[in-house]
Amino acid sequence: MNKEIKLSVNDLKISFRTDAGKVQAVRNISFDLYKGETLAIVGESGSGKSVTSKAIMGISAGNSIYEGGEILYDGQDLMRIPEEEMHKLRGDKIAMIFQDPLSSLNPIMRIGKQITEAMLLKNKANRKEGRVTFNKTLAELSELIKKALAENPDVNVSVAEVDKFIKTFDDFNIQAIKLENSYNAARTATEEMIAVIEDLLFLTENKQKVDVVSMLGLVKRRLKEINDKYFASKYEDALKAHAAAVASVTRAERKKAGILDVAKKLAGGNASKNEASAETVEVLKELEKTAKQMLEQPQYNFFRIGYYVYKHPQTDLSQMSADEANEMTVKFLNEDFMDAFLSLVKIAVQYSFDKTVQNKKDAIEVLENAVAFFRAGTFTAQEAEECCKNVNKSVLAAIDPLAIVKDSVAYTFGQALHREVEKYFFYIKNNPKEEARFARQTAQREALLAKGKKVDWKIVPKSVIEPEVQIETIVSVLNRVANKFKADLAAAESFDAEKRCVEIIDYLKEKASQVVYTLTKRIAKEKAIKLMEEVGIPEARMRYKQYPFEFSGGMRQRIVIAIALSANPDILICDEPTTALDVTIQAQILELINRLKHEHNLSIIFITHDLGVVANMADRIAVMYAGKIVEYGTAEEVFYNPQHPYTWALLSSMPDLDTNEKLDAIPGTPPNMIYPPVGDAFAERNKYAMEIDFEMQPPMFEVSPTHYAATWLLHPNAPKVEIPKIITERIRRMKERGGNHGE
Amino acid sequence: MENNREVLLKVDHLCQYFRLGRKDLKAVDDVSFEIRKGESFGLVGESGCGKTTTGRSIIKLYNITSGNVYFKGQRISAGTRSYQDAISAARSEAAKKIKLLRSEKNVDEVRKAEIREEIKKINEELGAIVDKNRALIKDARSDSKETDKQYVQSLLKTLEEEYAQKFRAAEGDVEKLKSLKKEYNNRCRVAKKSKLITQIQMIFQDPIASLDPRMTVRDIIAEGLVINGITDKDYINEKVYEILEIVGLVREHADRYPHEFSGGQRQRIGIARAVIMQPEMIIADEPISALDVSIQAQVINLLNDLRERMGLTILFIAHDLSVVKYFSDRIGVMYFGKMVELADSDELFKNPLHPYTKSLLSAIPLPDPVYEKQRTRILYNPIAEHDYSVSTPSFREITPGHFVHCNDAEFEKYKQQVK
Repeated sequence: MNKEIKLSVNDLKISFRTDAGKVQAVRNISFDLYKGETLAIVGESGSGKSVTSKAIMGISAGNSIYEGGEILYDGQDLMRIPEEEMHKLRGDKIAMIFQDPLSSLNPIMRIGKQITEAMLLKNKANRKEGRVTFNKTLAELSELIKKALAENPDVNVSVAEVDKFIKTFDDFNIQAIKLENSYNAARTATEEMIAVIEDLLFLTENKQKVDVVSMLGLVKRRLKEINDKYFASKYEDALKAHAAAVASVTRAERKKAGILDVAKKLAGGNASKNEASAETVEVLKELEKTAKQMLEQPQYNFFRIGYYVYKHPQTDLSQMSADEANEMTVKFLNEDFMDAFLSLVKIAVQYSFDKTVQNKKDAIEVLENAVAFFRAGTFTAQEAEECCKNVNKSVLAAIDPLAIVKDSVAYTFGQALHREVEKYFFYIKNNPKEEARFARQTAQREALLAKGKKVDWKIVPKSVIEPEVQIETIVSVLNRVANKFKADLAAAESFDAEKRCVEIIDYLKEKASQVVYTLTKRIAKEKAIKLMEEVGIPEARMRYKQYPFEFSGGMRQRIVIAIALSANPDILICDEPTTALDVTIQAQILELINRLKHEHNLSIIFITHDLGVVANMADRIAVMYAGKIVEYGTAEEVFYNPQHPYTWALLSSMPDLDTNEKLDAIPGTPPNMIYPPVGDAFAERNKYAMEIDFEMQPPMFEVSPTHYAATWLLHPNAPKVEIPKIITERIRRMKERGGNHGE
Repeated sequence: MENNREVLLKVDHLCQYFRLGRKDLKAVDDVSFEIRKGESFGLVGESGCGKTTTGRSIIKLYNITSGNVYFKGQRISAGTRSYQDAISAARSEAAKKIKLLRSEKNVDEVRKAEIREEIKKINEELGAIVDKNRALIKDARSDSKETDKQYVQSLLKTLEEEYAQKFRAAEGDVEKLKSLKKEYNNRCRVAKKSKLITQIQMIFQDPIASLDPRMTVRDIIAEGLVINGITDKDYINEKVYEILEIVGLVREHADRYPHEFSGGQRQRIGIARAVIMQPEMIIADEPISALDVSIQAQVINLLNDLRERMGLTILFIAHDLSVVKYFSDRIGVMYFGKMVELADSDELFKNPLHPYTKSLLSAIPLPDPVYEKQRTRILYNPIAEHDYSVSTPSFREITPGHFVHCNDAEFEKYKQQVK
């Protein structure tokens, strides 16, 4: 399969610190999530499925210990990136739906506010962030250009000229932002006006209480705000006509309102029941049509126009059509400024790249030295600290400041190394203590046993890591960066400076327009209502103002889904989204998630314990038991050709509609993960367990290229075991049915 | 199915309303069904449709609004609302008629006399209706009190007969007679405290919430016996150990607290608590939905074992249709407080008639990916589906043992379908 991998989890290991000892919740699991597919994780409670998903979201519990492995998304290791970086991913790129919809909604906040809250906050933060990054990147760029010029005598450009270029770039961007801001303001006003009109029309249609006059006032105010020449120039006459029409119907409506209404309004501020007349509705509908047309106009490219206007302050390009204006200004911009500027940027890019290549070579050397230093094993804490600092410094120096996508391995290297080194000293200090405790407990237990007493407690296993092993971990952290740098150096030949230049300019442009993109409450409301309609909530406009308790379970879950979708994520993690719902609602929610998956091209991680639900949703299935994936393959493979005894047990313990024989219940309960079993974790409950199952953990055996199972039964030397009859029977029935059950 | 088995529980037009401000919330509305001895009756429906309320009304956790519940032929609870409604309806109708008569104007003496006569007649009729319903209400009230008295009486009677023989046998032996006398007195005391309703026991959904965290398992299981007046510690302990072994736990568990157990074991404790009273019937209210997949099968198997071993009758309430199908002999489908379909489980799954049942069956997820991916769910929209403006629906028998909630037109339609 050559599908794009969205998320990949490698060798993840997570434990929890508890009073009784360390609980190993997730033990070395690995899986990939492809774009646009659903991966189902199945297992009973305590098998570590939710822990995995929470680790992906970066919301693990406070007492969790991350022991190793990585979660790669977009080249970043989610286990290592700092919280600030995680903020940009959580919710935006990776969203999550929880089991209980009621506990994931705030009971004292209206639904509408809960959906729009994140949008509005994100918008505000984005604006601020856009401004900061724009300035920072530009400053960095100018610095680098100057440095590059100082070392490159061939190009004859003085520092003053560079400053002038940068200032021009900055200034015309400000001009562009001003233009775009005014354009956006008009656009926002139009969108808001449509929102008001829709509200008014909706209320009138449903014979609700509505203050027509004041609503019309709102429309009028918005109409006045649509005065940007780039946005409204072609519609000036139409807008004037509309304004006049609105004014006249407002007068009519005001006359209609009796003295009583006015008095009431003055007294309580509440409008009486007051319907908009047919005429008003007509006028508003016309206005809405025009407004919608205006929104569909082709967009001006303000980055280009900004420069033109900056150079010719008196000109007005608004009479030109957008395409023409864009065409004309881009030519002007390129000839007058951009070509020269780009050549400068290119020098800087090339310079910075060459320098980082050099730095990387140096860094590799430093890293190798550090490896030798740690391998030697004779170092004090201070020395190690010093070494860490040095290595980190040279690694950080090897990061290209002009690369748009920063190298996350190098970025997070410092912390990772520091943590591992700290662990090393911790173990040196703690190991003897642990050993002593373990010996003490063992002695105590044996003494009790020797006395013939019954001992109902177990010895907490020692959590000891040999210093040598820890040093290997440190070395592997160092080697990872070194390998990454080596790979980068190998790829340095094919570096395209031009492309990088264009990327930088585009990045700046994007940040600049991010600064002026404002999302107002009213527009957010319209967006939220659209989302609510999309997830199948009827009368969204009415329900926008309700509280969570006014919704039924299924509707609440829909709202949670709408909130998750409001940021347009790439990956959706559904943690038992239907367990709290009953059959019909469950089917509806599953259909909804499936539909949204196709519409938004989402990748979904679906966590559940119900195999029936999985059959409907999943493309691929991973069966988890005691923190390990015991079987994984496509849905067809797992259901029609299950290999692991645990999968058999799961399948045979649930009755389906044709089951009559006694169910094959799994005896006993899952193992206590404070004392993880030495061999196969399922061995104790497994009636097919062999001796080796108690002694060694089985590796993943390949059944087919997409189907793996971790059981010794697949070993060539293992005795042949029959799949339980209840399952073979069911599979036979399913095959006979050929997917035409009930028809 | 054997239809000639004794009817153990009969629910007759059961209504359970809850006050909701000025309005009534009709949680259970006119539900009737019978459960025969030894059978397992499944009750399914979406959440909020009144399954649990039905179960709780039967076991008298609520005072029912109207209708009757008969257990072993005895009326164990009865509601009075329907009679009160009948009285007030008759009153308002009579008042209306009288008003109409009085409003006649310009009438001569003859007519006046006629009117007087008629009013008198109306009042007499009204009086008759009121008296009849009042009598019914009185009956209903006294019945639910009387049942326990009668039950105690019958218990005492059997005891007396039993011991009369024993006394006769032991005549002359003073020691033995004395001990027998003591035993007899003890058992009489227990019998006097027992109630008919203890013959029905309930297993609750959430095993964590339904067990008192401060009581040991022994106390929890023995509580029913203690309340019934049994004071013999040894007897109680023996009973508890016996029951613990029946439900698959061991003696040592008796001295532990609920929090020391896993979910499945807790549910076993809940079952043990219900079973120790030697009930004839158990109401299992979603006993497995709070449990883990691998544990669910254990509990289902246990319930099935108990059913065979103790000859229990089970009312099984759940929303997982595959489990209900597996477990039950007959199934009733509920929708918004009404029972919409009732049939043998095989029959129901083979020939679902009511559109809601069809929609419910089409939503069952199965562990079969190929089938699942092409499954189409049937939607149920009661407004589009039924036209009840012409004739009101009622619960009718289409084929023997297969009941559907329908009106005349639908009745014909379903009959055609079955053929």
